[in-house]
Amino acid sequence: MIEIYRALFVGQIQAASQYRVQSVLWMLFSVIRPVIFLAAWVAVANAQGGQVGSYDVRDFAAYYVALSLVSNLATSWNAYDFEFEIRMGRLSPKLLRPLHPIHYAVVENIVWKMTTIIPMLIVLGFVAATFDARFRSTPAHLALFVPSVVLGASLAFLAGWVVATTAFWTTRVHAVSTLWDRAAFIFAGQIAPLALLPGALQTIALVLPFGYMLGVPAEILQGAVDVPTAMVLIVVQAVWVGIFYALLQVVWRVGVRQYTGVGA
Amino acid sequence: MTEPIIEVQGLRKTFRVTERQEGLAATLRSFVRRHRRDVNAVAGITFRIEAGEVVGFLGPNGAGKTTTLKMLSGLLYPTAGEAHVLGFVPWRRENAYLQQMTLLMGNRTQLVWDIPAADSFRVLQEIYRVPEHSFRKTLGELTDLLELQELVHKPVRNLSLGERMKVEFAAGLIQSPRVAFLDEPTIGLDISMQVRIRGFVAEYNRRTGATILLTSHYMDDVVALCRRVIVIHHGQLLYDGPLADLAERMAPYKIITATLRDGAAATADLAAYGTVTARDEGRVTLKVERQIAPERAARLVNELGDNLADISVEDPPIEEVIDRVFSEERVGAAT
Repeated sequence: MIEIYRALFVGQIQAASQYRVQSVLWMLFSVIRPVIFLAAWVAVANAQGGQVGSYDVRDFAAYYVALSLVSNLATSWNAYDFEFEIRMGRLSPKLLRPLHPIHYAVVENIVWKMTTIIPMLIVLGFVAATFDARFRSTPAHLALFVPSVVLGASLAFLAGWVVATTAFWTTRVHAVSTLWDRAAFIFAGQIAPLALLPGALQTIALVLPFGYMLGVPAEILQGAVDVPTAMVLIVVQAVWVGIFYALLQVVWRVGVRQYTGVGA
Repeated sequence: MTEPIIEVQGLRKTFRVTERQEGLAATLRSFVRRHRRDVNAVAGITFRIEAGEVVGFLGPNGAGKTTTLKMLSGLLYPTAGEAHVLGFVPWRRENAYLQQMTLLMGNRTQLVWDIPAADSFRVLQEIYRVPEHSFRKTLGELTDLLELQELVHKPVRNLSLGERMKVEFAAGLIQSPRVAFLDEPTIGLDISMQVRIRGFVAEYNRRTGATILLTSHYMDDVVALCRRVIVIHHGQLLYDGPLADLAERMAPYKIITATLRDGAAATADLAAYGTVTARDEGRVTLKVERQIAPERAARLVNELGDNLADISVEDPPIEEVIDRVFSEERVGAAT
C-alpha cells in the first residue's frame, strides 16, 4: 500500500503543479471568509468596550487565524468532485481497479494541503500581526492540536464521503452537500467561536459533529480551552471519526450496489 | 471440452426508467407522480467463450451489448442469471478478478488528464502490483506495438483522440489481463488509426493468448479480428457462431456479379437470372437465392457466352447481412 500511495502522490503532485495559481487563489479565497468574520467581531467587540463574552479583540484574531489554518488542513471537497465523477462516468474505471476509490481522494486532499500550507501560513502570519492576535496556548495545547487537527480532518473527510455517496441515489448531491455546508457554517465555529453561540445553539453544536471538525481544533490551538477539556474533546472527536467510518462502510456498500444496480 | 473463460447463463438486466410527456402540465404532474417503465436491456442470454478466443459482440444501438460487457466486467449487477469469468462472479469485484481483467470503452477515459501517461502507468503498476521486470517488458511491448514513444511524456489532455486511445489501450493492458472487454475501441478514429488498433488487438491476442470480447459498429473491426460472433438484438441472442456462417444463416441469398463486354451492362436484361441490384462500369450485380445461385451462375455463363468477361458468386457484405438481420427483426417486432 505504501508503494501505491507513493505513486499516487507523485501523480497528484504533478497534476497539482499544473494548477499552482488556481491553488493559491482558492487558498486566499478560503481565508477571506474568516477574515470578514474577524473584522465583524472586532467591530462588535469595540462597540461593546472591547469584549464579547470571554473574547476580546486579540482573542478573536487568534481564534480566526487558528480557524483558517484548521479549515485549510481539515476541509475536503469530495462531495463536489464525486457528483461530477458519477455524472461523467469517471467513477466506473476506478471501481474496476483493485483499489478503493477513497484512496485517490485521500491523496488529493493531502497534496492540496501540502501545496497550500506555506502561502497559507504567510497570509495568516500577516493577519495575526495586523490584528495583534493573542494565543493562550501552552506547549501542551500545541501537542494536543496535532491529534485534534488530524481527527478533525479525518472526520470532515469521512463525513464528506458519506454525504458524497448520496450521489449514488441522486445525481444532485450538490443540494445535499450545500445543506451540509450551511449546517457546518453555523455549528462548526465559522460564524462564531462555539463558546459564544447562544445557549441552545451551543448545546446543539456540541451534540452535532460539525464543531469537532473545525471549531475544536481551532480552540485547542488558540488555547481557549484548558488541557483536560481539550483531551475530552479529542476523545469525542475520535468517537465521531469511528461513527463516520462505520457509517461510510455501510453507505458505500449499499450505494455501490445501488449504483451498479441502476446503471454505472 | 476445456473449461470456458467466460460462461454466461440466462443473464438478464432490467432497468427501470422514468418517462414523461413533453409540456408544462406533464412536467408538473411528474413532480407528484412519476411513470416508470421496465426496460429489458438484456433479456436472458447464454453463451460461453473459450480461452484465447476473440469474439465479436454485435447488435444495433440499444441492443444490450454495453450492458452485457458492464455486467461481465463487474460494473453492473444483473437482474437475473449467472456469469463466471475466469471462475469469478464479476459483480463481486474481487481484487483477484479485477487484476486479471480490463474493460476498455472507446468513449471513456481512465487516465489522469493533467499528467503524462507515463506517470499514470506507474500508478497503475502499483495498483495492479505488477513486478518491475514485468512492467518494463509489457510497457516495452505496448510501446512498440502502439508506437507510443512520443506520446507517453505529454500530458494526456494534449493528445489527439487517436493518440489518447492508444495510450488508453496501454493503460488498460498494463497488468497483462487474461480477459479484455473492448467496447467500441475504434469509435471516432480515422481509418488509418482504426487499422492500427485492429492490428494491435490481433497481435496482442496472438502474443498473450488473452480472451477478447469486442463490440464495434465498424464491421471491418469484426471481420479483421473475430472468427466468431455473437449477435444480440432487443437484449436477446440471435446468433452465436462462426462469422463465416453468419451470411449463410442470416442471408438466404448470394450476390452474383457479372462483368459484361462492350457496354452491354447498361442494356442487358438479366432479370430472368435474379434481382438486379446495381449496374455500373460494365458490371451488373444480381441478388439470387442461395440454393439456386450456382445454377443461375452457370446459366449466365452459358447464355451470355462471349459477352461475359468475368463472373463471381459471393456472400453479401457482412454489413448488409447484419443490417438485414436487424431490419427484419424490426419488421418482425412491428407486425
